[in-house]
Amino acid sequence: MSSTNAAIKSPGLRSLRLQEGGLLIVIFILGLLLTFFGGTVKVPVFETNAQGERERVFRTNAQGEREPVVAEKNKFLNAQNLAQLAKDTSFIAIMAIGATFVIISGGIDLSVGAIYALASVLGAIALQRFGPDGPHAGASPWISIPLGILACVGTAVLAGFLNGGMIVALRVHPFIITLGTMAIFRGIAFVITKGQSIGGFPQAFRDLVRWEIGDGLSLVPLVVMLVVTIIGGIYLSRLATGRRIYAIGGNELASTYSGIRVNRVKLSVFIFSGLTAGIAALLSLGYYGGATSGDGQGYELNVIAAAVVGGASLSGGKGSAFGALLGALVIQLISTGIVILGINQNYSQIIIGAVVILAVVLDQLNNWLAKRRLLAN
Amino acid sequence: MAFLAFQRITKRFPGVQALDGVSFEIERGSCHALIGENGAGKSTLGKILAGVYTADEGEMVLAGKAIAPANPLAARHLGIAMVHQELAFCPNLTVAENLCLGDLPGHAGWLDRRKMREQARAMLAEIDCDIDVDLPINLLSTGQEQLVQIAAALGTQANIIVMDEPTSSLSVKESENLFQLLAKLKQRGITIIYVSHRMEEIFRLCDHITVLRDGRHVATEPISVSSPDRVIQQMVGREVKQYTSQHLQKNLGEEMLRVENLSSPGKFSNISFTLRAGEILGFAGLIGAGRSEVAQAIFGLDEAATGKVFVRGKELPLGSVNASLAAGIGLLPEDRKRLGLVLTMNCRENTSLTILSRLSNFGFVRQREERSLVQSYVERLHVKTPSIDSSVAGLSGGNQQKIALAKWLARQCGILIVDEPTRGVDVGAKAEIHHLLDELACQGLALLVISSELPEVMNLSRRILVMRQGSMVGELPRNDFSQTNLMRLMAGVEAKAA
Repeated sequence: MSSTNAAIKSPGLRSLRLQEGGLLIVIFILGLLLTFFGGTVKVPVFETNAQGERERVFRTNAQGEREPVVAEKNKFLNAQNLAQLAKDTSFIAIMAIGATFVIISGGIDLSVGAIYALASVLGAIALQRFGPDGPHAGASPWISIPLGILACVGTAVLAGFLNGGMIVALRVHPFIITLGTMAIFRGIAFVITKGQSIGGFPQAFRDLVRWEIGDGLSLVPLVVMLVVTIIGGIYLSRLATGRRIYAIGGNELASTYSGIRVNRVKLSVFIFSGLTAGIAALLSLGYYGGATSGDGQGYELNVIAAAVVGGASLSGGKGSAFGALLGALVIQLISTGIVILGINQNYSQIIIGAVVILAVVLDQLNNWLAKRRLLAN
Repeated sequence: MAFLAFQRITKRFPGVQALDGVSFEIERGSCHALIGENGAGKSTLGKILAGVYTADEGEMVLAGKAIAPANPLAARHLGIAMVHQELAFCPNLTVAENLCLGDLPGHAGWLDRRKMREQARAMLAEIDCDIDVDLPINLLSTGQEQLVQIAAALGTQANIIVMDEPTSSLSVKESENLFQLLAKLKQRGITIIYVSHRMEEIFRLCDHITVLRDGRHVATEPISVSSPDRVIQQMVGREVKQYTSQHLQKNLGEEMLRVENLSSPGKFSNISFTLRAGEILGFAGLIGAGRSEVAQAIFGLDEAATGKVFVRGKELPLGSVNASLAAGIGLLPEDRKRLGLVLTMNCRENTSLTILSRLSNFGFVRQREERSLVQSYVERLHVKTPSIDSSVAGLSGGNQQKIALAKWLARQCGILIVDEPTRGVDVGAKAEIHHLLDELACQGLALLVISSELPEVMNLSRRILVMRQGSMVGELPRNDFSQTNLMRLMAGVEAKAA
């Protein structure tokens, strides 16, 4: 592709070619590596019996003994593992998209992990009341599930609103405000639960989130992640409000001088960040069936790391939703890879830390090369 | 033999050939002017000499030796220093700390504050300057900061000083002080390379002049054989006609803006004036007279402002940009990089920033319409850009200013305030912007032009208001326009006494 062609293309496409293209290649290579070097694993074969239950398949071997039938599968490239990978990625990816909104606007949100915990806990308390041991046991799922969602996501949105509202009203740097609320939100979650785990949700809710297309493949988190990515991507690239987020991150003063209501935009990005934490919390509630105030400890750093690996610039004005998804995927692939390749778990933090730095350095190298290419023409 | 020679210097930036085989020589102890339109490459050449950039091809010969400073520090060691417009110091540290930063006096790691202050005072005394060395740099005016930069340059035994547009944000008095200082430096045998747009200054200060055009060398000659007209011709490669404003022939329309007793504590007080459709009202005054602040208050950026502003007879609530925008007021701010443009975005996104709501359905930007609209403004304003999706950061000053202006044209406001519309803009683009402002007035826009360049306000305006130290000190009708009249009002009592 010649550079003149690139010049007419929309900037969205061009940055896709540079930033996300690189990440896609990295993900592809990582996938290949894990497929070839991950080795194989023996898994028991299941089938559905006449009563509609899943049970293991047995056969009689040459010695006349009954033994379970096993199939050999690639350790990495098998449907269960990929669905597991998608689920593990989804929590961080969904929140990384919210964080990307904040980072593009030139801010930072350290409280997402705490919002996740608080939303989980409050959602769990609401759901528990409709659970088998709750006071409203047996209520229609048409009432219990929406109320649970409302409690969980509503809490998170409210927390995001408080973050944004304080940042705008008190004119304090987002780092400070969210550093404070990080402790406050988690503290509230702890006080409410008295440190206890909360579980016992209505089966309908759990079935909804853990809904499987068969063979243990649960794709709800994956679908939710893709939907959030698409909505976030459209918001950023096609909506006027998305453009305004890039503008205030690029130059807040010039945005004010252009009549952009900077405070409104700031408030909106923190609400969005809270919302994504709430969605992730909701998925985890359904998936794990319980919540404690310690949930999501340290998530804020993973989330920011994913956003940054995905190309968001901490100085503002740069980033994309799709990039955040890919960034989260790269990080998850690496942690999965460490397990599959049998590398000592103790090294995983070191490796992931190095990857974050490497990604940013590569991004800078990429920018430098693009500049050189422009020069050469 | 020449003291300093540039030989076939070539430098490319993304999408731009900044310098193309530039060769000329500079004599020892001379004040050598470097002039050209914006984008002609004069600042780039200065920065190559000072080690900020390195040349792609060609070499520089200093006193018979080839030099290629890789960074500003290397250039300092060769005795070359540059006085920048941009901040060259740590703004949070004091004058003394900045001046001694390269070689802090001390004992065993402990900073000797007394000695540091003495050294700094001595350095400032060299240029007869008595700034308090304990002030942090960010409390100094631009002019004072420049003096500190010069003191720092001399302190490192510089014998070549590159001055990049030194007077572009200085007041008249500060400029005058600077000229006297430069004359003294010249007497001491220091070679000065003076990069500027301003013809008067060059003809007053310099002995030689080099003209660049589009990255190429056009002429180097003694100032005695040159003349401003000749230089302008060399710069643009054609005759520039003095532009006569067309809007003056037209009749004025209804009253668009009436300002009554507008005040803001500490900034300005009791500003009253009216502006009619089709009128260009000039706003003159020295730097710091409060003109930009008045403009910001009318645009709703000053929450502390009191008084009354009426747009088409309706009172405008103060302190709300959105109310001002809704009333049809636009403001082209003075500092385009800081206030006018989002440099991380491209030309299209910058231009449509003021009209996003208008360009969208249910929040979705109508992209095709956006592109065609921006394209039409880019063509109308002759913005030189590879495409509307090119980064605005890569454009020259004149073209950036056109994009900043296109934003407001796209908004189609009835009242447009332009603050220093042609600062740091080359001769060609300047004429185009003047022409455009005139055209807008002919179409019935009400324009308020704030400018520190007297010929500019005089050429464009129907009336000129003069501000001094936050107050309105006079209003001149077009018949009374003269530089002397304006200067007298701008400088106030001092000028009368002189």
